Amino acid sequence: MRRVSTAERPDWRAKAAACGFGFHTIDDAPYWDESAYYAFSLREIENGIEAPTEELHAMALDLVERIVGSEQHLRQLAIPEPYWDWIAQSWRERQPHLYGRMDFAYDGTGPAKLYELNYDTPTSLFEAAFFQWQWLEDQLARGQLPAGSDQFNSIYESLVEAFGTIARGIARPFHFAAVRDSAEDQGTVAYLRDCALQAGIDCGALAIEDIGISEDGRFTDLDDQVIGCLFKLYPLEDMFRESFGQYLPRSGLQLIEPPWKALLSNKGILPLLWDAHRGHPNLLPAEFDNGGELPRGSVRKPLHSREGANIAMHLDDGRELRTNGPYRDGPCIRQACHPLPAFDGHYPLIGSWVVGDRACGIGIREDSSLVTQDSARFVPHAIVEEARGVLIA
Amino acid sequence: MKRSRTAALLLMSTAPLLLTACDRSESASREGLYTSVEACVAQTNDSDTCRQAFAKAQQDAVATAPRFASREACEASYGKEQCAERSDGASHSFFGPLMTGFFLSQMMSRNGVAANGFNSAPAFRDSNGGWQRPAPGAGGVYRGGAGTAMVPVNATPNRAVTSSRSGFGTSGSSRGIGG
Repeated sequence: MRRVSTAERPDWRAKAAACGFGFHTIDDAPYWDESAYYAFSLREIENGIEAPTEELHAMALDLVERIVGSEQHLRQLAIPEPYWDWIAQSWRERQPHLYGRMDFAYDGTGPAKLYELNYDTPTSLFEAAFFQWQWLEDQLARGQLPAGSDQFNSIYESLVEAFGTIARGIARPFHFAAVRDSAEDQGTVAYLRDCALQAGIDCGALAIEDIGISEDGRFTDLDDQVIGCLFKLYPLEDMFRESFGQYLPRSGLQLIEPPWKALLSNKGILPLLWDAHRGHPNLLPAEFDNGGELPRGSVRKPLHSREGANIAMHLDDGRELRTNGPYRDGPCIRQACHPLPAFDGHYPLIGSWVVGDRACGIGIREDSSLVTQDSARFVPHAIVEEARGVLIA
Repeated sequence: MKRSRTAALLLMSTAPLLLTACDRSESASREGLYTSVEACVAQTNDSDTCRQAFAKAQQDAVATAPRFASREACEASYGKEQCAERSDGASHSFFGPLMTGFFLSQMMSRNGVAANGFNSAPAFRDSNGGWQRPAPGAGGVYRGGAGTAMVPVNATPNRAVTSSRSGFGTSGSSRGIGG
C-alpha cells in the first residue's frame, strides 16, 4: 500500500458536473482529491480487506439474532423499548437490507482493524462506485497508471444486482428520501435511485421533511399516496426520537435500511463483537463506557456518533484529542486506540463496502487529523500489481 | 478484474434520456382501497360513487366482519378500541372490528371513464397494520358465530389524507447525516 502523487485529469470538474457530482467541493474546501491515489497489491485487497470484510459482516449478522432476544443487549444499545418488537419482527421476517460500509485502519502490513460499522446511513457511495471508477478508466486511457491497473470496486454492479434480487420484496410505491438541504445526501440517494431504476424498479424521491402522516397512522408522500417502502438516508435512531417515530411500528411502512439495522449501525455492536470473538485479528478490544476517566491507549465514541463527531482519544503517549459535535449526551463505548497509519502526513481511513452480503469495493477518506471527520477528502485507489517488485531496466 | 465492467447512469447524467413516461397499461377496471369518502373522491373525482360505495361497505361490514365472543378477543386481533359490540338482530350480540376503509372497483370504458355500477367491500385493519377484506363470495352469511373468512390484502390503499408533515427531519443538520 503506497500513496502516489499523480497528475489530475484536466477536465475532471467538467466530468463531475456532467454526472451530477455537485459536492466535489464543499464549503470551498476540496472533497474529491485526485492529486494522489493509494496503490494496493491484489493480495492486500483480497486478503487484507475483502476477506475480513466478508467475515466481519457474517459475524455481525450472527449477532443480530442474539441481540433481538436479549433485553440486556437492547438496553446496552439504547434502543427505545417501544421499538423492540418491531425491530425483532423485521429481523424474523429477514426484511431486505441493501448496503453498509465498514471503516478500517490498514496500512498494508498487519491485519486491518475495524473502527466501526456504518450500516444504516453510509455515504460517500457515489464517489466510490462511480466517480472513482471513471477516474481509473480515464487515467488508464491517459497512461497515468501502469497498464493493467485495476480497482476494488464492483459496487455499481453489486447495487444493481442487489436491487434486482430484492425487487419483489419491495412494497410499492417505493420512494427514496434524504434531508432536503444536504447536497451530499441528496447526491447519494440520487445515485441509489439511479441504480434501482437500472434494476427495473419504478421509484420516486422526496425530502425526508415532506413525509406526511395520515389520521390512521400511515406515511404519505406529497400526493397523499401511502408510501409502501421508503429508502431513508436518515438515521433510524433519529426517526425513533422524532414526532413521527411513534407511528413506525404500526404504519405498515417498509424501511430500507430495515429496522434491524439499528442494532448494527450502533457502536455498541463493537463491544458485543469483541465479547463474542475476543482476540479476533480484525477487531479492537472494546467495552461499554462506564463514564470514568479515559485511560491512555483508548478512544471514547458515542453509540450514535457520525462523521467522527464527539470522539475522545487518549493516545499512548498521553496526548488527548477531542472532536466536537452534536452527540454530547447518551451512552458511549470505549475502544482500544489504534491510530490511523500516516502516509506523507495524511491519515487514510478505508471504507469497505458491503452490498447485499458481498464485500465489493472500497473508498478512502483522507484527513490531516487522526480522527476522520466530515472535512476528510475522498482519494481514489488502484490495484497496481507488483509495482514495487518490477524493476524498470 | 475487481471492478465493474461498466458504470452507467440513467438519471444523473446530463446526456439526454430516451426514456418516455411510463405507459400506463390499459386496464379494464380500477380498484382502490380508501380510508374515507374524501380520499376516494380525491382519487376518482366521483363523489356519488364514493358515497354509495362507502355506505354499502358500511352496511356489509356488520355482516361480514369477523365475530368474537368478547371485546378482548377482538382487540387482540384488531387493536385497542378498534372493536364494537354488534347484534345480528336476533338478540345475539358479539364483537367485531370497526371498518377502517373500503374497496371500490369499477369497470372502465375505453376512454378512461368509469362505467356505471361498482363493487364495494369493507376493509379492516389488523393490529399489525395489515389490511384485510372479506373472502370473495362471502355475502353476509352467518357462519356459526365465526363471521366471514378474511383474506389479507397486499396492496396498501392508494391514498390517505395527510394530517401533518415534517415529523421527520428535525435532527438533520444542513451538512447531512451520512456516516
